[in-house]
Amino acid sequence: MGFFFQELVNGLTTGALYALIALGFSMVYGVLKLLNFAHGDLYMVGAYIGFFVIQWFGGASSLHIPVPLLLVIMFVLAAGVVGFLGVAIERFAYRPLRNAPRIAPLITAIGISFFLENAALLLFGAQYRVYNTPNFMSYSSGIRIGSVSIDTVQIMVLAMAVALMVGLRLIINRTTLGRQMRAVASDREAAEMMGINVNFTIAATFFLGSALAGVSGVMAGLLFNQVSNTIGFNAGLKAFTAAVVGGIGSIPGAMLGGLLIGLAESFITGYISSLYSDLLVFCLLIVVMLIRPTGLLGRPQLQKV
Amino acid sequence: MSGEALPPATGPEFAGPQTGTQVTGPQVGVDEWVARRAERREYLPSWLGTAQRSVERVGWWPRLGVAAVAGALLPVLGVSGFQLQVGIDALVFAALAVGLNIVVGSAGMLDLGYVAFFGFGAYGYALLSSGQIGANGIHLPSLVSIPLVLIGAAILGLLVGLPSRRLGGDYLAIVTLFFGEAFVEFTNNVAPTKFGGANGIANLDPIHVPGYQFLSNASYYYLLVVVLVAVMAAMRLLETSRTGRAWRAIRDDQLAAGSMTIPVDRVKLMAFSFGAIVAALVGTVYAAQQISVFPTDFDTPILILIYASLIFGGAGSIAGAVTGGLVVMIIYDGLLRSPSDSGYLFYGLILIALIAKLRPWRRLVLALAALVALGFAVHALARAISASWVGGAPQSTGLIADALRDWLVIPANSQNAGKVGFVLLVCLLIALVQIKGSARIILLVPTIYLAAFVWETILSANASITRQLMIGAILIVMMNARPQGLLGARRVEVPT
Amino acid sequence: MTAPPVLGLHDLSLSFGGLQALAKLDLEVANSEIVSLIGPNGAGKSTVFNVITGIYSPGSGDVKFAGESIAGLAPHVIARRGISRTFQSLRLFANMSVLENVMAATYGATKATPGESILRLPRARREEREVRELAEEVLSFFGQRLAGYRWEQPAYSLSYANRRRLEIARALATRPRLLLLDEPAAGMNPAETHEITELIARLRDERDVAILVIEHDMHVVAGCSDRVVALDHGVKIAEGGFDEVANHAAVIEAYLGRDPEALAEQG
Repeated sequence: MGFFFQELVNGLTTGALYALIALGFSMVYGVLKLLNFAHGDLYMVGAYIGFFVIQWFGGASSLHIPVPLLLVIMFVLAAGVVGFLGVAIERFAYRPLRNAPRIAPLITAIGISFFLENAALLLFGAQYRVYNTPNFMSYSSGIRIGSVSIDTVQIMVLAMAVALMVGLRLIINRTTLGRQMRAVASDREAAEMMGINVNFTIAATFFLGSALAGVSGVMAGLLFNQVSNTIGFNAGLKAFTAAVVGGIGSIPGAMLGGLLIGLAESFITGYISSLYSDLLVFCLLIVVMLIRPTGLLGRPQLQKV
Repeated sequence: MSGEALPPATGPEFAGPQTGTQVTGPQVGVDEWVARRAERREYLPSWLGTAQRSVERVGWWPRLGVAAVAGALLPVLGVSGFQLQVGIDALVFAALAVGLNIVVGSAGMLDLGYVAFFGFGAYGYALLSSGQIGANGIHLPSLVSIPLVLIGAAILGLLVGLPSRRLGGDYLAIVTLFFGEAFVEFTNNVAPTKFGGANGIANLDPIHVPGYQFLSNASYYYLLVVVLVAVMAAMRLLETSRTGRAWRAIRDDQLAAGSMTIPVDRVKLMAFSFGAIVAALVGTVYAAQQISVFPTDFDTPILILIYASLIFGGAGSIAGAVTGGLVVMIIYDGLLRSPSDSGYLFYGLILIALIAKLRPWRRLVLALAALVALGFAVHALARAISASWVGGAPQSTGLIADALRDWLVIPANSQNAGKVGFVLLVCLLIALVQIKGSARIILLVPTIYLAAFVWETILSANASITRQLMIGAILIVMMNARPQGLLGARRVEVPT
Repeated sequence: MTAPPVLGLHDLSLSFGGLQALAKLDLEVANSEIVSLIGPNGAGKSTVFNVITGIYSPGSGDVKFAGESIAGLAPHVIARRGISRTFQSLRLFANMSVLENVMAATYGATKATPGESILRLPRARREEREVRELAEEVLSFFGQRLAGYRWEQPAYSLSYANRRRLEIARALATRPRLLLLDEPAAGMNPAETHEITELIARLRDERDVAILVIEHDMHVVAGCSDRVVALDHGVKIAEGGFDEVANHAAVIEAYLGRDPEALAEQG
């Protein structure tokens, strides 16, 4: 039973991480109806930023600032830099294609993803960069219930994920910006005619979504302890899966999907084999899409004739 | 309005301005004039467009014949083993792009699992023509194994296409992407004793037909020329048939296609199947030529390479797909892999871009002069400050290195400077696209200087990364600057 | 026993969520008859078309074509049986040429497999020739409007009125027995509207096709219909000759905001 609960905790943590990535991805899809293939690579950039912040302040084993301050700097810097990177990508590559055939921005997004991945390879090299999290945040100093241990990083990731999701919900449901985002999502032209600054709204959405990707990148670095230029693609795939399973464009759907994928992955790895975890997760996605093409929480759209 | 007399109107409302006016020819602002002026195609600029037009006046099959003969004659002119391998790879990707064009260009569906069909063909051939399975292996004659693989690919294409019946654009892209990923995961992890795992399958039989074995690379080159020409001709004939029209109809409007007797689901599945067959056919030849198959040969980077070929040449056009495949692969696989060629390619492209885009010529001369002056000035300044600032040497050799000696500043330890320069260069390029007017020209000069710096410090030395960056850049730039590709027709999309 | 009407809607109901789009609708179209469907916006006229052509499945009730039920069949099957349509919001194959647009609609009437087409076997050649002849014949029905020099131009380059004509030509290429025209005169100037009215009558006379037409322009309705059916909120509120329907109290009431004189004047 202890094994089961341990896998449950691990699954919830990775699930929360996937949910955060999926959330940003889903937000961008909501306003632009664009599958942002580059989203996973933004997450990768965030993870690298976290790594370089640790190096900047002396490296994992000889930090010369307190750990909480380090964490704050990592998260804020990753959110800010990656957020602006997302805005720049939107401005440069997607905005000119708003009225192009549907396939054009998709292909551009694939190109950007490929470019970012290889730019990171050029700049940071192919080797894995190691966070060495245990050197400053001991894995053992968490909560222990029977044989199930929840370490500090997991607690922090879960807490932050919940806080960010709640915060995002508040932004979307309660603020003017959120209202504008929903308006643009449902009808861009009408929103523009109602005096909403569509360009600003889309840029703001990209900023929020990309910042979430950056933050999740740092979290992943802390949690999985290593970064490379290829982690983005896989995380991106998981995020697509989560967003699609939950219902793409739906914020609660992305959260639910992320948790489900995280749990599924964790249990498949724990009970079957880690070799098949990706394969089986993809199969899960295909089954969900065939049974419920709009995802678990997505609403079917009536075809207009 | 045409000149035909309209029947007398019944009420005063009918006395429109057209009634009674006899118009003989096309007129500005009138439907006919607009219609006659509307170009079916957007041609390349200036004399390139004229050439394109005169080529198009010739029928398609003489053109194809000339291209085929030219392709077949190339090895006769004497090429190195490396060049022949580049030619083979270019032909492989040209044929793959033609197959992808069926699904993406004609039927308008984003199939991101296409590379898996290529892999299926290769693995299918590998399993049926090697010692991999069983004690003695299966060594089927190629005339049996290849058709078997193609039938399998057609069925697999139908299966992968099945979700397309219910899922529109984006969702289909995701499902097919996962199919592609699943294929790589499968070959990597499932039953390593049968599928070889990460080590792949080696020692494949050559393609052999009664009386002949394809052993040399030259023989595979000719085989691929034949395959490519056959696929092009078949696709051309299919494009202008009821099937091709149905594909283009569902691309433009699925709902209307259904109401016009076209069975949308079946036609989509056919597109997937035909794409799969072409990819698998190329896969069998590729596997036999390589004598081995590996999972990484069919992973996402290869998919993106095929897409870059198709997008560069022009989705929707067979000639475009082939041109794209050839050009992209010759650059990617050939020029960028040899340091001297890549230098000429890099500076040549900059020069061509300047000549094509900078008008009038006085402005061009001014920009080039400013570029030269800037280089020498910066170099002199840097040397005056410290000798170590100019202590490095460019990566290029020969003529280019001589030309750059007193012009380009390269510090002794230039790797990190090169990396900073790369980031700065990307920012500058983005800025160049955004700004207009004379500021652009002013910014252009330092940008080119910086580009040369980045090239000579890190890009040229890391050719394997540079060529991937180029593929990404092709997709981004083409989609923004010329979405119809080099030879494709611009398409409109009517929002519904 | 007389032949069954070409189209019969029986007790047809359809609702989207809480919205009752069609309620117990009965409608018949006889052979070679021109019936107009009128009603205010949102009355369910286009929904009727979408149910007949299989884009929506009817919630309850039946759709009969020449006596046989076609309810629930796929759109392309219904089209092959002999029902063709145009769309209110033009839905041409925008990037295909004018001729190809028409030829594409003959898919259901041809049989050549892809293999036959690639090898240009006799059946493929013959069909291709016939299809092209049919397309040219159908296009020539519109005289100068869709004259030969336009055939190779992409559909998106046509004027609005010509796109409407091309939609009709494309619909004719399926050789329908019943043609559904959704606002064929929308966006046309008075002269073109008049032309379309004549065209509808000519279609019936020369091509022996029954026509169900949705139209807001009362000139067209008055000019071509044998019978007029008025809908409001998915319910049939009046049926009969044009004058009878136009002066029907319920119809006048349905067009809120228009007083009886205005409606009569327009008719």
